[in-house]
Amino acid sequence: MTTLPPGLKPAVLPSPLQNLIVEKLEQSADSVHLSDLHALALQVEHNLRYQHSWTDLHIHTHSPISNQLLPRPLVSGLPPQRLYIHPDEQIELLKNADRKRKASKQAQDTLDVEVAPEPEWVLPTRLNEKWTLRRLSDVFNAISIVPPTADENGTPNPWRTTKRVLLATTDSDSTITYYIVHDGVVKPRQN
Amino acid sequence: MGSVTEPFPISRIAGRYLLFDIDVISYARRTHNTCGVLIGTLPNLSQQNVFLGIPLELMPEEARVLIERGHAYIVDDEETHRKGFLQMSREDRLAYLQYMDELGLEASMESKRKLEERAAKALKGKDLSSSLKQKHAGPAPSEATSNGDEESLFDSSEPGVQPKASQSNLIPHFITPATSYPPLSHPPVDRGLPLPEVPRSYPLFRYMHSKGYFSTPGLRFGCHYTIYPGDPLRFHSHFLATGLDWDEEFDLLDVIGGGRLGTGVKKSYLLGGEDPTADAVTEQSDNGASVEVRPVRTFSIEWAGM
Repeated sequence: MTTLPPGLKPAVLPSPLQNLIVEKLEQSADSVHLSDLHALALQVEHNLRYQHSWTDLHIHTHSPISNQLLPRPLVSGLPPQRLYIHPDEQIELLKNADRKRKASKQAQDTLDVEVAPEPEWVLPTRLNEKWTLRRLSDVFNAISIVPPTADENGTPNPWRTTKRVLLATTDSDSTITYYIVHDGVVKPRQN
Repeated sequence: MGSVTEPFPISRIAGRYLLFDIDVISYARRTHNTCGVLIGTLPNLSQQNVFLGIPLELMPEEARVLIERGHAYIVDDEETHRKGFLQMSREDRLAYLQYMDELGLEASMESKRKLEERAAKALKGKDLSSSLKQKHAGPAPSEATSNGDEESLFDSSEPGVQPKASQSNLIPHFITPATSYPPLSHPPVDRGLPLPEVPRSYPLFRYMHSKGYFSTPGLRFGCHYTIYPGDPLRFHSHFLATGLDWDEEFDLLDVIGGGRLGTGVKKSYLLGGEDPTADAVTEQSDNGASVEVRPVRTFSIEWAGM
């Protein structure tokens, strides 16, 4: 940043997000990816942490399977609620909840479906990028089904059998949209 | 339903792949999850026809899958007809015309018989209704004139008025055969004809077809195929599919648009293409035909709802 005479503010102040990203970029030891890709990951991580209340967020530069360099830094984190329920799992959950409700024998009980949140992979992208199937499959080849987490004691969800990634697309106005991308043919949710 | 022997012929006419035989159409749908699109209509009144009939037009992809798997073969129908009918002998032609006349007479007698049956039924009904009428035999004249149509309907079905069916005054119906393979012999399998030309999305189509999915054209949803987990008459579709080359660039905006549209109508947006880096594998179909295909990689996209 250019130095200004003392007592003068710059005409346009950089946004707090920009400051944060610049600061983090200087701190980070990730010199393996281009800095714009790393800045993108930081931006998405910031959005997930503060707008969507995600926790346990990490930025990954190397594949957890092969330990090779990822095509670009990926984010992993834990959403506040379960992000994706496979339709078959949903049927099972509803059956269980119904059984529980009948067991409690209180007619006014509502159907309570209990699902624990699961950690997710997030793929940060920019809207003006072009993608190909090859690049997408390179990303999927490098990741595990569930991102590595600190506590390994949790039981894995038996319904989670295909790799999935949350595609985070940022526009130049810093809007971020999230889409779930599954590896392979996965039937849609019935919402 | 008549029996269908494999491979069955697919008529190629003016670059389109058509099926004319209703048995073959239902067979292809039932056993080879191939829907096609019915395109037959009244020639002069195509606008006034809601339900289309035979022929069934197949997408080039559908035709190609059927041919590659050895279930069908292409027939150059124009050539077959020109040859077949020009070389037909006079006796054969007359015999066939006679046969058609017989069929027409049969159809005509059948419709006559049905008419008589209906008349008999109406007469039974009339016995009952006439007895009812006698009970309320008061305000007859004015009502009778206002219901003139009804009266004449009853009159015509009175006993004795209906002439008995006799074969002499019957006019045979004109039969329009849907296929021309009774007069002509079945065309031989010609391996020399080229396979149908298919768009780049073909590998994805082939892959989904091999997994037992049904596909219909995807124009309605702005994609290549709308893919159903079973017969489209029984299931809602699951996927809006777009087939791409392995290195074909796409905009993320298209992915977002497709994903959002798909989720809005309870479907997934499916991207897929053939992976040229993977080794080709040989797929064996149940009739012994084998095809070498490269594996196809697909990605299903849904809105995350956040």
